[in-house]
Amino acid sequence: MINVSNLSVRLGGRPVLHGVSLEARPGALTAIVGPNGCGKTTTLKAISGELAPAGGTIRINGRDLRGLKPWELASMRGVLPQSTVISFPFTVREVVRLGLAAGANADAALHDRIAAEALEAVDLGGFAGRFYQELSGGEQQRVQLARVLCQISEPVTDGEPRYLLLDEPVSSLDIRHQLGIMQLARNFCERGGGVVAVMHDLNLTAMFADHMVMMKAGKVRASGAPAEVLTDETMEAVFGCRMRVGVAPPAPVPFVLPQTASL
Amino acid sequence: MPRSEALGRGMRLTGLAADIRSEWRAGNRARLARLVVVALAAVAIATFVGSIMTGAADASLANVWRWLIGEADQALSIRDRIIILDIRLPRAVLGMLVGASLAVSGVVMQGLFRNPLADPGLVGVSSGASLGAVLLIVLGTATFGPLFALFGFYALPVAAFFGGLVTTLLLYRIATRGGQTSIATLLLAGIALGALTGAVTGVLVFMADDKQLRDLTFWGLGSLAGANWTKILASAPIILLSLAVTPFLARGLNAITLGEAAAFHMGIPVQRLKNVAIVSVAAATGASVAVSGGIGFVGIVVPHLLRLVIGPDHRYLLPASALLGGTLLILADMIARTIVSPAELPIGIVTAFIGAPFFLWILLRGRSNMGL
Repeated sequence: MINVSNLSVRLGGRPVLHGVSLEARPGALTAIVGPNGCGKTTTLKAISGELAPAGGTIRINGRDLRGLKPWELASMRGVLPQSTVISFPFTVREVVRLGLAAGANADAALHDRIAAEALEAVDLGGFAGRFYQELSGGEQQRVQLARVLCQISEPVTDGEPRYLLLDEPVSSLDIRHQLGIMQLARNFCERGGGVVAVMHDLNLTAMFADHMVMMKAGKVRASGAPAEVLTDETMEAVFGCRMRVGVAPPAPVPFVLPQTASL
Repeated sequence: MPRSEALGRGMRLTGLAADIRSEWRAGNRARLARLVVVALAAVAIATFVGSIMTGAADASLANVWRWLIGEADQALSIRDRIIILDIRLPRAVLGMLVGASLAVSGVVMQGLFRNPLADPGLVGVSSGASLGAVLLIVLGTATFGPLFALFGFYALPVAAFFGGLVTTLLLYRIATRGGQTSIATLLLAGIALGALTGAVTGVLVFMADDKQLRDLTFWGLGSLAGANWTKILASAPIILLSLAVTPFLARGLNAITLGEAAAFHMGIPVQRLKNVAIVSVAAATGASVAVSGGIGFVGIVVPHLLRLVIGPDHRYLLPASALLGGTLLILADMIARTIVSPAELPIGIVTAFIGAPFFLWILLRGRSNMGL
């Protein structure tokens, strides 16, 4: 369980988060949504340990974040940033294996297998020898996810759940890969791990999340199951946009919902 | 050497070359990198021995060897002994040390700043180290008496180390914001710091008296010509210590290429990594500058060439750069002392002639990947 209670964060002296509290249970996909600049990414960075909170506490599996060393944290959670630029000519295999080095000192054959499986999982099976810099943005994002999957290769180790913290994991992916990656995150939850994802696509969120946290201006405005959070009222209050939830557009306008996909 | 043994060694080397070719084709850079490190070690040893055997004067290594094992006539071998043991050997040792130190400093600095253009020579760390050394020479015993008393002949490398350290720390503070380094800021700040330290150095040279000027001129030539065992004793411990630290940085430097945040996510204690990296770059650069003046471009050419062949993995890049850096500097020194023989060219001129066009070529080739 990740437990955030009364978290406040200041960036460059300016308060960005005001008393954010949320819970991310193992076995559940927790999605954080909200307008640009509302503090979603900041919340995720605080949970990852990257930003020191000005107030409040964050616990992972009951342990206070402040008492954990970087390598202890690395064995409990993996983090996918929004985008990663590398200015050295690493191959995809080399980038993915950077995640492995962070984990246990297992044998070489096991490492090879984990790396290969992670690349298969993000649908980049034949890409191991390609140069990272030559891939498209969406492919680079999936390489980084494979690296995170190498770091946290099991959803549960030593009887304790592990977590994936994903910052907009599907933002630059095509629809097929959006569905694939969200399904991957779901499977991780079903096998006992926990996922916290910052999301923009509300339809995908409604389809895959167990728990939704809606933020506005550094505060949590609504949280609960997607059906409870996604209402006409919260959409207008949080996004400032009058919308109707669950209403199809009038006939001549085409629309495609991810829920209709069969892969 | 018996003929069959020579044949055997030749075949082993050919085998190594064939292995390297096949790994290159298979695209397996990890195994390729290990083979390249072994090959570079062999080349480094050969170059080292070769440089001891060649020179303006005629000297026989065999005679020195016979003297060493106690078989030669003392009187016969004394000239060869002086040429080889007191002139060529220290020069080769110093070349190897300084070349390795410059190349490895380049690798660590480039890893730390996540950019292949960061080099202690280019961004002003070497000029900072020079300033430290010049300060010591000019203000000398009057001001730094206690320093001399404390460090003895280590005083010059220690002064250069502090000069380099201050410059590196300043650069890091200026160019890195929130864990991201701006390469444009880094290079421009390097130019500014280089100009500033150059100006202060100029003032000190202006203040210097005749004897100090002589010291400065000899020191600042950027040359291995003054190599002797005292210089090696003064610089080798510092250089070897900073080189010995770098393998422990390899995994952290690999992780930090994805950014400081990502490195932290992967369990790297980032602040400690940066501290150790900065101190070891300053120490290695400082010690090299103190004994050989400013020798440019080794730190940028060597790592770049190796990245093209074995990739950017620091676990292999660091040892390979140390070996190739030492080898190339010894070769450059051989050019420097033979091309205008019997006079000598400062080695800094040779490395600049080779390195500067190479640097321009890197810029033309990879502009898009440099973050420029």
